[in-house]
Amino acid sequence: MYRVKLEDFEGPLDLLLFFIRRDELDIYDIPISRITDEFLSYVRLMEEIDLDGVGDFIYMASILIGIKAQMLLPQPETADGEEEIDPRRELVERLLEYMRYKEAAGELEVLQEQRGDVFTRNAAEVEELSHREGPPRLTNATVFRLISSLRRLLREEEEQVQATHTVDRVHYSVEEARDEILSRLQRNNKFGFVDSLRGAPRGRIIANFLAVLELVRVGSIRIELPDERNDFIICEPAPEVTGSAVQTSESQG
Amino acid sequence: MEVSEGAFPSQADKRLHRIIEGLTFAAGDIVSPAQIADVIAEVTGGEPPSEEEILSAVDELNDSFAANNRGVRIQKWAGGLQMTTGREVAPYLKTFREQTHERRLSRSLMETLAIVAYRQPTTKPEVDYVRGVDADYALRKLLGMDLVDVVGRSDSVGRPMLYGTTDDFLTAFGLNSLDDLPDLREVEELLDDPAFDKERAELLMLRELPVSPSVNGNEEASGTEAAHGSNGAVTNNSGQE
Repeated sequence: MYRVKLEDFEGPLDLLLFFIRRDELDIYDIPISRITDEFLSYVRLMEEIDLDGVGDFIYMASILIGIKAQMLLPQPETADGEEEIDPRRELVERLLEYMRYKEAAGELEVLQEQRGDVFTRNAAEVEELSHREGPPRLTNATVFRLISSLRRLLREEEEQVQATHTVDRVHYSVEEARDEILSRLQRNNKFGFVDSLRGAPRGRIIANFLAVLELVRVGSIRIELPDERNDFIICEPAPEVTGSAVQTSESQG
Repeated sequence: MEVSEGAFPSQADKRLHRIIEGLTFAAGDIVSPAQIADVIAEVTGGEPPSEEEILSAVDELNDSFAANNRGVRIQKWAGGLQMTTGREVAPYLKTFREQTHERRLSRSLMETLAIVAYRQPTTKPEVDYVRGVDADYALRKLLGMDLVDVVGRSDSVGRPMLYGTTDDFLTAFGLNSLDDLPDLREVEELLDDPAFDKERAELLMLRELPVSPSVNGNEEASGTEAAHGSNGAVTNNSGQE
């Protein structure tokens, strides 16, 4: 059984930025109480699906709870017109600072892409450098949107299971789920994650979710995120972009 | 030897061009201008060309490569010179080398690398703080890829190791020096909010800057940053006149 490393994806500040962007919040006026609750529900889910690296999220959750508590307390009187310090200030500063580096990372990506267009005579060595540490594939989806879908699916499932009766524990393996996804993908070349697992038992849903993360990471599948829907579409990996001819012929066919 | 003056490089300059082209071709790897100068001094026994002369000869060479539809260029990377193919032939080389997928860093590695690059020398706790994530994994990977290296130890408590980027980093991103890194954008620019409350933003972000009353913050800010830069940190206000 392997574990999906969250480290390859995003961190707690990304989750906060995800909420801020999704709900179009004013970064200087974050509704801390609401965000904290939602943050915690994500963290609980992450713990459940046993993603590696949840510790950083738990730490951030504790910071959020601290801020929330501070905001509930009456502010101490500030002496002689000193600026009242917003308990959220440090967090906001961190988020803004982090945004700067995120953007810088984007710039570096562009530089690296441009650099990839020129070849040196000893490129074998460069190739070796990249293989020494397997290059993780870049995903364009944020893992939080995937987790949002998972959350919704699990909630649906909870609502359905109302009758209480004991069930034998069934184990689902990520390996099985992976095979299942790949063979399904051979039958129909794209399908919705939530659609495909509606009514499935919780264990199977989680196994499938982890399998999806792993498959995306190794590049065996690609994920499309339609804007409006709370589902994501699993599709064949994008054809290797070796020349524009391949793509045009495909879109004509 | 006759030296002709005019619009075209003199005879001696042309010789310099020829030598640079030959050396960078044969070396394959990065050659420093100093190495080239040493070689020339040793062979001719005369005065070696200066670094400026070499670098401007490289510019002229690249111009002539472009003008003559040549498939090679000489890059200025990590303070040295390296012959590479030109951008125009990239699709052919990618096919030739059967480069099936782009070699790219994952987002977490790229962000960690950006933090090290812009804040260097920096410590792991600092990197942890900026991303809100334990950077151990990412730093180890970047160290393994020779993009980042330990450059010393901080004087602060516990003497944590200081990390910085390597020459391999510069080469991997096509940079001559750290000054060529794109500017880190200011927070104001990042927030495309038209109803952006400037006063509030200043209050929130300019905590470290000396807040001198009644002075318009702008000049102050750039002065402080420049001073910071001379301590070895990377500043990116170059070119902002």
